[in-house]
Amino acid sequence: MMRPWSRLKGTARNLLRKSHVENQLDEEVRAYVEMSADERIAAGTSPSEARRTVLAESGGIEQVKQAVRDRRAGAGIELFWQDVRFGLRQLAQNPGFTLSAIAALSLGIGANTAIFSVVNTVLLKPLTYPDADRMVNFLAPSVEIASDLHNIPEFHFLQRQTNLFKDVAAFDNAGPGFNLTGGSRPEQVNGIHVTEGYFRIYGAPVALGRTFTPQDDSPHGGNVVVLSYALWQRKFAGDPAIAGKSISLGNQPYTVVGVTGKDFVGGVDADLWLPFQFDPASTDFNVAYFVTGLLQPGVTIAQANAALAAATPEYLREYPKSWDPHFRIGPLFDSIIGDARNSLLLMLGAVGLVLLISCANVANLLLVRATVRKREFAIRSALGAARARIVRQLLTESVLLSLAGGALGTAIGFVGMRALLAVSPAGLPRIGENGAAIGIDWRVLAFTLGVSLLTGILFGLFPAFSASRSDLSSTLKESGNRSSTGFHEGKARSLLVVSEISLALVLVIGASLLIRTFIALHEVGPGFDARNVLTMEMSLNGPRYQHTAGLAQLLHDGRNRLNALPRVELAAAGFWRPIDVEDGTGFHITGRPVDKDCCGSKWMSITPGYLNLFRIPVLRGRDFNDDDNAGAPRVALINEAFARKYFPHQDPIGQHIDHGQEGGQRGIETIVGIVADFHDGGLARSADAMMIVPIPQVSDEYNAAYANIQPLFWMVRTHGDPHQAIPAIAEQLRIASGGFPVAHIRTMDEIMGHSTARQSFQMLLLTIFGVVALLLAAIGIYGLMAYSVARRTQEMGIRIALGADRSVIRNLVVWQGMRLALVGVVAGIAAAFGLTRLLSTLLFGVKPWDPTVFLVAPPILAAVALLAVWVPAARASRVDPVLALRAE
Amino acid sequence: MNSKQANLLQGTLDLLVLRALAPGELHGLGVSRRIEQITKGTILVKPGSLFPALHRMEEAGWLTSFWSESENNRRAKFYRLTKAGKRQLDVETEQWTTVALAMTNALKAT
Repeated sequence: MMRPWSRLKGTARNLLRKSHVENQLDEEVRAYVEMSADERIAAGTSPSEARRTVLAESGGIEQVKQAVRDRRAGAGIELFWQDVRFGLRQLAQNPGFTLSAIAALSLGIGANTAIFSVVNTVLLKPLTYPDADRMVNFLAPSVEIASDLHNIPEFHFLQRQTNLFKDVAAFDNAGPGFNLTGGSRPEQVNGIHVTEGYFRIYGAPVALGRTFTPQDDSPHGGNVVVLSYALWQRKFAGDPAIAGKSISLGNQPYTVVGVTGKDFVGGVDADLWLPFQFDPASTDFNVAYFVTGLLQPGVTIAQANAALAAATPEYLREYPKSWDPHFRIGPLFDSIIGDARNSLLLMLGAVGLVLLISCANVANLLLVRATVRKREFAIRSALGAARARIVRQLLTESVLLSLAGGALGTAIGFVGMRALLAVSPAGLPRIGENGAAIGIDWRVLAFTLGVSLLTGILFGLFPAFSASRSDLSSTLKESGNRSSTGFHEGKARSLLVVSEISLALVLVIGASLLIRTFIALHEVGPGFDARNVLTMEMSLNGPRYQHTAGLAQLLHDGRNRLNALPRVELAAAGFWRPIDVEDGTGFHITGRPVDKDCCGSKWMSITPGYLNLFRIPVLRGRDFNDDDNAGAPRVALINEAFARKYFPHQDPIGQHIDHGQEGGQRGIETIVGIVADFHDGGLARSADAMMIVPIPQVSDEYNAAYANIQPLFWMVRTHGDPHQAIPAIAEQLRIASGGFPVAHIRTMDEIMGHSTARQSFQMLLLTIFGVVALLLAAIGIYGLMAYSVARRTQEMGIRIALGADRSVIRNLVVWQGMRLALVGVVAGIAAAFGLTRLLSTLLFGVKPWDPTVFLVAPPILAAVALLAVWVPAARASRVDPVLALRAE
Repeated sequence: MNSKQANLLQGTLDLLVLRALAPGELHGLGVSRRIEQITKGTILVKPGSLFPALHRMEEAGWLTSFWSESENNRRAKFYRLTKAGKRQLDVETEQWTTVALAMTNALKAT
């Protein structure tokens, strides 16, 4: 048996002490020859004759030494190192070739690294929670609600399924925000409500004190708060005795029970956490809570879903007034990444095409070079180099190229992705602020290395084989150093150019479809006018806003103060912005048969002026006014979608909507008007059925629940630039609210931009890919034609000398190039027909086989190709026959 | 060396070298001569095969080498079996015997 250790030692010695090893080898073989000769001399041969015979019999000293070298340990490494050094010399001798190859490769590999670094961050990096694989999210229990929201009875029921879940916790999404008061300047901080199990599920580390106990989270648990490490450091200077101290939130004292560990991020970013303190006997069916859970070890998601379905009748017996919920769970990871997977994988596919085009380009360059180096290879073969040895040499060169391209590409890709994200926030989960979480880790590096090696082999293999296949004698016989392009290489190069063009066309068509999507999204009237509208958020903490009366007073006072400002055209408030309404409600239409599962719609509460401010027209009936207050009959507006859905053959105005029991009173509203549809769920979604009510008529319980989970949005339409009005507006609202700040002040335009961030990002990426592909394809076809013209200079010269018209020569070359381009375009159209279907989920307002795109993109590509072909064609037609003929 | 002999040698050269060195240390030419002697002149190992084999076996840890004076006062590199080399000789001898016996039986069979 070979002993690996002694072999390793041998390898190290052979490589590291090379001259010593070589000297010894030389001495050893010489001694052999001398001793052999001695034997023969002793037997009577003359010294010179003896030496000659020995040398002849042994096959020569150098040959013996080479035989030892070839077999000894580390020979492969040595050979490889030789190839590398030779390859580097070769590349350094042709800086033009080397640089253009590295440029093409670094573009291709860089784009791939960039996209992969995003894919890695979003899809591949595991969640950092200790039990991440058992963490689940409870999905929407009804199709009537857009988000995965639940109500308190549902949460309590789920919490009792202890055979399935180790822990179940509720939390609110963005939270209402909290006014951290008590200092000189109140500040709105990001706080959310959670149930006590939340910290256990997320495996939250504790820096100080403790997280919530079940006692803290009970209805009489008192005012307690857990701080985040960052807030503790920032506002309380890391006070080591903070646990047990009191801080002021919305002018109320709260006792700090603990501080979470430094890097803890739960389901939602937060500065502090408050306990929900749900009433265990609650029958409040308002859906407002996200629910997350930790599966018992060994329970699968499918099992848990089946068990939940089986347990639902039990829930309905307990809460007969509830709707029929469809309890479902999914992996937390899936909920976090949402629909980002599909779009990212498509981008990865698209960028893969760019890389293929780069490869084709470099393969083409290598083919040209291989033609030039044909004699070199022929001579090496003649001297006994095996074909495998030449292929290996050429592959080493191409892998060197691709590694250089990969190294440069990693830098380009990383910087490029950062720059792109700074311009266009991707709207992707897990990537942090402007993509701060996207970085280079071992996965990205391994990916880039793998891609580089693979590319090097891919584009190197073909030229290497074609070069090593050359026919020795004919190559060597050819005169001068100009060997002609063989038929095979010519065909191969044309094939590469054709595939480059077809791939580029696929990308250009894809990019055009996304551009059309982007335009379509921006042409969609959102159904409201966002210009010159400022939105800001206010946290309604404290007992004053637990009653509708207090809230109505604030709204009334605030609106009056804002409307009195000179820059303000109109002010209003609401618990949602018109672009992202998420709440919904179930109801019953009075006079119809009771059907528990019938009716649901989106639901939003606003102040008078809101519709006017956004220029949302009231089509029939009337808008709200200040008389629609707590004492007046309850009224509601519906949108067109609502009217179509629930009153297709009936006039909705004057009909009654019954929400069932709301706290102490029965919630019945009369429909007083129909408003035009607006995009309440984002621009890419058409309007859902929605009902709108005035905040002053909403029940105390409902308004209090809202104040506890959501900030109030103030909206102001200004004369001219909204930004200049901010200080005055903030000041007036602070006075009206009794000292509360406003936060997240943004123009409605910014918010609209945010809602199409993902589409903008995809469009930008694919457009960049399309342009790069177009450039590479143009360079590819230019290179091929320029090379072919250069080779045929003599032929052109003869033709011109014989009287051929120069335009005929030009057209000959143009036609030759354009024939390839057209074949590529046709192949590209066919491929695009097949591939654009994959894009359909990313498209909006345009079909995957949109005729405009399919009619416009091919001529663009053909035009670029024509431009690229024209230059060498024009050069061919300008050939001076005398010079051309003398050149040989 | 013709190709027939090369084929013969490929499987047996290692064993022959080990066997040649079993009685004691030898330099390259000595190994060659000893093999010639113990195979009764049937197998002549040429330096182009011998030296790569010696170096390879030394790297494998079966042989160890040292420089010394030859019988007629030339400086030469001598090889000697290591413990591992002796074990290897036993293993290969046994393998060879088994195979040789099997082959002989096979060829005798009718």
